[in-house]
Amino acid sequence: MPKPDLREATSAYEPLLPIEKKLIGWSLGAGIALLALLVVVNHFVPLN
Amino acid sequence: MSEAILPLRTAAPPRFSEDLVAVGLGLVVFLLALGSLAGADALGWLVTTSVWTAPSTALAPVSKAYASLGGAGSLLATYLVLTGVLSAAAYLLGDDVKRFAAAFTAVFVIAYASWFVGSWAYLAAVTPADQAKFGVSWSLKLTNEGGYIVALLAGLVIANAFPAFAERLRSAVRPELYIKIAIVILGAFIAVTMASKLTLASSLMLRGLAAIVEAYLIYWPIVYLIARKGFGFSREWAAPLASGVSICGVAAAIATGGAIRARPQVPILVSSLVVVFAVIEVLILPFIAQTFMSHEPLVAAAWMGLAVKTDGAALAAGGITQSLIQAKAAAEGIAYQPGWMLTVTATVKVFIDVFIGVWAFILAYIWTNHINPRAGAEKAKLGEIWERFPKFILGFVATFLITLALALGTTVGSSGQLTAAIGEANVLRVIFFVLTFFSIGVMSNFRQLWQEGFGKLAAVYLVSLFGFVVWVGFVISWLFFAGVKPPLVS
Repeated sequence: MPKPDLREATSAYEPLLPIEKKLIGWSLGAGIALLALLVVVNHFVPLN
Repeated sequence: MSEAILPLRTAAPPRFSEDLVAVGLGLVVFLLALGSLAGADALGWLVTTSVWTAPSTALAPVSKAYASLGGAGSLLATYLVLTGVLSAAAYLLGDDVKRFAAAFTAVFVIAYASWFVGSWAYLAAVTPADQAKFGVSWSLKLTNEGGYIVALLAGLVIANAFPAFAERLRSAVRPELYIKIAIVILGAFIAVTMASKLTLASSLMLRGLAAIVEAYLIYWPIVYLIARKGFGFSREWAAPLASGVSICGVAAAIATGGAIRARPQVPILVSSLVVVFAVIEVLILPFIAQTFMSHEPLVAAAWMGLAVKTDGAALAAGGITQSLIQAKAAAEGIAYQPGWMLTVTATVKVFIDVFIGVWAFILAYIWTNHINPRAGAEKAKLGEIWERFPKFILGFVATFLITLALALGTTVGSSGQLTAAIGEANVLRVIFFVLTFFSIGVMSNFRQLWQEGFGKLAAVYLVSLFGFVVWVGFVISWLFFAGVKPPLVS
């Protein structure tokens, strides 16, 4: 297995695959929804 | 965090993982501390350092029962016992014991000397009353925990000005081992702190969930997208980099590298960048927090847990932030109970750590089934969740639960005996923190940033970290912790 070199990290462009787009989209969507839910919970059960 | 991080040249294959060794040592310290509940003061000989103007008055054993040892005797005893115990740990980790003991001697001497210097009244005295007591007309007001910064700076000087010496120290420069032992001990300290305010404590736990969501589901996809689309990184580099910036730095980068079957050197190169940036954060963010958030201590503490990468650096930043904000508050006549800010930082960080195994499994599943499906190649298995679970957290949970049960369910909890016993263990926790700070400094060779190609990697990190990780972390900390103050000293 060739040793990685930092120069090769960006040398060949790899387009985003649909599964990567899904991973990014679902993660962000779930994250924002869950955060909103936690903010609501925080509102009704505030820290004292 | 999961298993051992930056590779060391070991003499033999490790007999146990770093996590298990850390749990073992942390539990031994914890049990020895509990021994004092039965009348056996097994840790009272440990050295502590008070704020000083005359060096000869600074050191003393933590327990009066060992007063006859004197400061120098307790320092020597602490050094000898730590060298012996950690050399045994080095043996279990497959390291050369003689080489470790020699290197650890230098590490301990420099790290503890830094702690000692940090307790000098001109650096540490906080209130005008303190300054008058020590007869100093000015002070940097860093509290004696400013010694952490001195240790970090000492490590940085060695790494960047004396690289050959840094290399000789290498086998004892193990920040991950030291911080894991400290975190196991910290579990007991946090339990003692929380037992006094159980409602607040349980509410803090709920807020830990927000940290998981933020790190894995907000930070990770954005950093991955920036690395892939904005800077054109390949998947093999972008995924460990996203984990390094988003989750808990070094360990997350390595767990992700393993999950996506990246070449081992990829996450290691990413990790070296994580350490360098974590040091920069530790040196900057606590002072920003003190300047702008001294009236929102828990926001500042949560911010450290969310913004500073690697467990050691995050807890270090939490500790410094706690000292700086307590110092500023004390100057205004407000005395917060110690420990609460560090508790918030640790809670946030531990919650984030717990999820690493699950996230690594999700990535492994996607990579092996959709991105790099190879005939005959090993697929992701559910067992990877356990394999990558940071086991030292089990030690943290154990000391936390046992101490909480003792604090709430027995008379030793209410009598103050338990607090005193855990206080002795906490002295060792502080020493392990100092060793961690110094080690992080020694590992931070800034010349790496000039390596060809490193600039682009650093640019992703810089854009992500200071472009949104720090700010989103601040906003979320504010949403969940604004207006809540640590309990005051009664």
